[in-house]
Amino acid sequence: MRKFTVSSGKTVVKPINKIWFILLVILILTVIFSLFIRIDPRNIRIGELFILFEKLFTPKGNRTWGDYFAFMLTLREPLGETLKMSLAGTVIGSLAAVPFAILSAKNILKNKFLYYPVRFVINIVRTIPALLLALIAVFFVGTGVLSGIIAIALFSFGIMTKMLYEVIETVDMTSFEALESTGANKIVAFRFSVIPQIAPMFVSYMIYIFEMNVRSSAILGYVGAGGIGTTIKDNILYNYDRVGAAIIVMLVVILGVQFFSNFVRSKLQ
Amino acid sequence: MNNLEKVLKKQPKKWIINLIFVLAVLAAIVYSFAGSHINWTRFNTVGISLRIMIEGLGSINTDFLLGTGIYQFEEGVVYLALETLAIAFLGTLIGAVLAVPFGFLAAKNIVGKKVARIGEAVLVLIRVFPEIILALILVKGFGVNALTGVLTIGLHSIGMIGKLFSETIENMDRSSIEALESEGADTLTKIRYGILPQLMSDLSSITLYRLDINVRSATVLGIIGAGGLGASLILAAENWNWDILGTIMISIIVMVLLVDAVSGYLRNKLL
Repeated sequence: MRKFTVSSGKTVVKPINKIWFILLVILILTVIFSLFIRIDPRNIRIGELFILFEKLFTPKGNRTWGDYFAFMLTLREPLGETLKMSLAGTVIGSLAAVPFAILSAKNILKNKFLYYPVRFVINIVRTIPALLLALIAVFFVGTGVLSGIIAIALFSFGIMTKMLYEVIETVDMTSFEALESTGANKIVAFRFSVIPQIAPMFVSYMIYIFEMNVRSSAILGYVGAGGIGTTIKDNILYNYDRVGAAIIVMLVVILGVQFFSNFVRSKLQ
Repeated sequence: MNNLEKVLKKQPKKWIINLIFVLAVLAAIVYSFAGSHINWTRFNTVGISLRIMIEGLGSINTDFLLGTGIYQFEEGVVYLALETLAIAFLGTLIGAVLAVPFGFLAAKNIVGKKVARIGEAVLVLIRVFPEIILALILVKGFGVNALTGVLTIGLHSIGMIGKLFSETIENMDRSSIEALESEGADTLTKIRYGILPQLMSDLSSITLYRLDINVRSATVLGIIGAGGLGASLILAAENWNWDILGTIMISIIVMVLLVDAVSGYLRNKLL
């Protein structure tokens, strides 16, 4: 430790630089975790990647480029399914999140025994990956769009509740108190002071979650929850060109949804 | 009519916009359901399914949890969960390191507007490319093992971490660099004392946040053979082995909550 004497006569101790300690911890963790990753050089075949790219993005066998693009057009149906699933799931999940967000915000009900348990449940819901939710939904209602909607709704519900209660907690409460002081009850005060403040954020989050859900549709279809992912899974063994076509179409749609989402959200703010 | 009423009359007719919005959302929902072929009778068996699920979840398979008995240790949930954590951690580390140059290339105040736009476009493309598709491709080149998972998460993370890095770099305060310049400091000193201290806490916070997300996706990527819990998960799900599924589910919940808590604690300390 280095000590310095400043001109006023005081001694100043230079603080220990924590960065070396942090780097050491990261290094140790990296070494430990690397033990779990076995690298077998025989498995690494970079050449295969190039072959795969060729298979994905050129027509297979005696199919022509015409077939390749014609197949893209037939993807309208699964893509529509994906978008509808995402939309319905997002809206249902987000609306269901509203009462729970209010219950778990610290500044509205001010009751510890209410908001801690609610938050705990929400946190548990949020830890379950969308894929697992879809698997469970498939178990309950079978494969198809319905299980996709349920999975997306649950997933959206978890995220929206968290985002929304954080917004509610940062809301300016003076107008709420002002309304209460004039004799309005909590519901009226909430309606006229909190809702106008959180409504734009709610819509903006909803669009953001919709965007996320469209992106996760690839994985949902993989376990049978409908949409474009199903097309990818059905063709992954024999028709790489169709998988490639589906990937291209999916990327275009995701990009489109993202531009739309960014545009609307920038208008809202 | 007094003054107050006049002001009230003058306020924009917001309810029209609100009504249009609500109607649009309603129409979208109706359209989503009407256009999809949904078989509502499937809800009839929910009760039975629920009972099977709860019975299965109630009986945790300890052999499978610890990797004892008929299971090898490396098939046990404890080992697989650690492997999942390893994939997430190493993937995030690779992503964060690779994201630094991308972050600088997408920052307007470092490389200028034109280059930054290209950098940004690259980051958007990386971000929108679904992780599972990336894993499907990489699994061909790197085999069915955890390495594929690490690389998938590493490459995919560049997109988001790089974007947030570039925003941090753009918001950097230049005054400390100018102060160092006025003292006659050289470039290295300027980077070491003017730039790094400002960026370090934000960069670590962003990386920790991404670690949270990556732990979740590492559990999922196994379904196409990228290591971790996913492979056992999809196998158990296909046979509806609820005792095994339940064990995996609980371990995922515990793992994610733990990582969330640790990274949240560290992020709070950084602020």
